[in-house]
Amino acid sequence: MSCEHIERDLDSYLDRELDAATAMDVRGHLSECAACRRWVAEREALGRLVRTAPYYAAPDRLRARVLAQTTRSRSARRSLAWAAAAMLVVSVGAGGINLWRSAITRSDTIAADVVDSHVRSLMANHLFDVQSTDQHTVKPWFLGKLDFSPPVVDLASLGFPLVGGRLDYISGRPVAALVYQRQRHTINVFVSPAMNDVFPQTNVRSLRGFFIRRWVHDGMAFWAVSDLNEAELIQLCEALEAP
Amino acid sequence: MLPHLDAAFNYACWLTKSSAEAEDVVQEACVRAMRFLSSLRDDNARAWLFAIVRNTWYSRVSRRANMPEVTPLDPARDERPDVALDPEEQLLQQHTVALVRAALEQLPADFREVIVLREFEGLSYKEIAAVVRVPVGTVMSRLARARERLMAVLKLATPTETLR
Repeated sequence: MSCEHIERDLDSYLDRELDAATAMDVRGHLSECAACRRWVAEREALGRLVRTAPYYAAPDRLRARVLAQTTRSRSARRSLAWAAAAMLVVSVGAGGINLWRSAITRSDTIAADVVDSHVRSLMANHLFDVQSTDQHTVKPWFLGKLDFSPPVVDLASLGFPLVGGRLDYISGRPVAALVYQRQRHTINVFVSPAMNDVFPQTNVRSLRGFFIRRWVHDGMAFWAVSDLNEAELIQLCEALEAP
Repeated sequence: MLPHLDAAFNYACWLTKSSAEAEDVVQEACVRAMRFLSSLRDDNARAWLFAIVRNTWYSRVSRRANMPEVTPLDPARDERPDVALDPEEQLLQQHTVALVRAALEQLPADFREVIVLREFEGLSYKEIAAVVRVPVGTVMSRLARARERLMAVLKLATPTETLR
């Protein structure tokens, strides 16, 4: 395959937007073309450089104003649908998404729980019970708090540093929550012993702007959730599946 | 929308190039978002909020005959130097960050936003296309051209080892 043929695909390749077959063609070409490899390396370096630019987090006063507004408009409107919708927004961090739950299956309920826990951990500023980048500190911390021992690995070498862990509840059961970081994105990985009944297959789904992936490995069920993009979340999950 | 407030604010800052303006835009966007909540598809609330932030900003711009002076973004924020670096490296890092910020701010708005949505927020081409309301092909060409420009600007201004 020629360079000019491949060139228009290189950005899509780096952005993980190519289908598997085309991505393989590109990889094949890169393995034998130094010029294109250099181009790709430059683009990757540019990406890293651009991501050092400041990320402007919302100031507290803006957060407070938006929250106040949400509450105000709820009381101003009497329509049942509106009240339900506004409540949804207000209670999104409090675990109350009953509206969503009414018509959905058990797997969806757990997925909604997972997203709730993730959002709650970010909003309530309760991300860690144990804050450490050392897996040998985080793993023993769970001892005596859970009746299982979650696998804890640091993936800093892959760009997903472990930042801590905490105890959480999903569907009324205690689970281990491992917290990973990717640039400005937080990833919660919930671990609990796998129950043999529900959904054996691995899948990625998106709910309310978050990607969720669930899989089972070595008798443990994992849920990873983040606002990270799908490809990078899968990358983390695959690293956890095959440590 | 509260969980996505940081993302919305960051996007608005890069869109408007003013943190005061961005606050107003995000606040107004949240009011609009609540009004249109019934049209929310629950699979991508974040991209949906970006789209509303963007519409809010452009309708504000078109409402005004001439734009007021904007307060520039506060460069001191979110640029905490990495303490693990020695002073010289810290300086170099701050310098690099300032160069990158300047390079991004110099880009035309439609190039800048696709870079922000892709590089900071990790949106897919399809999601960006929905936010910006252009075909996916246009997203791809804007991204490519934006990157070419950044490459040209930063390559000139950056020590080569940073780009290697």
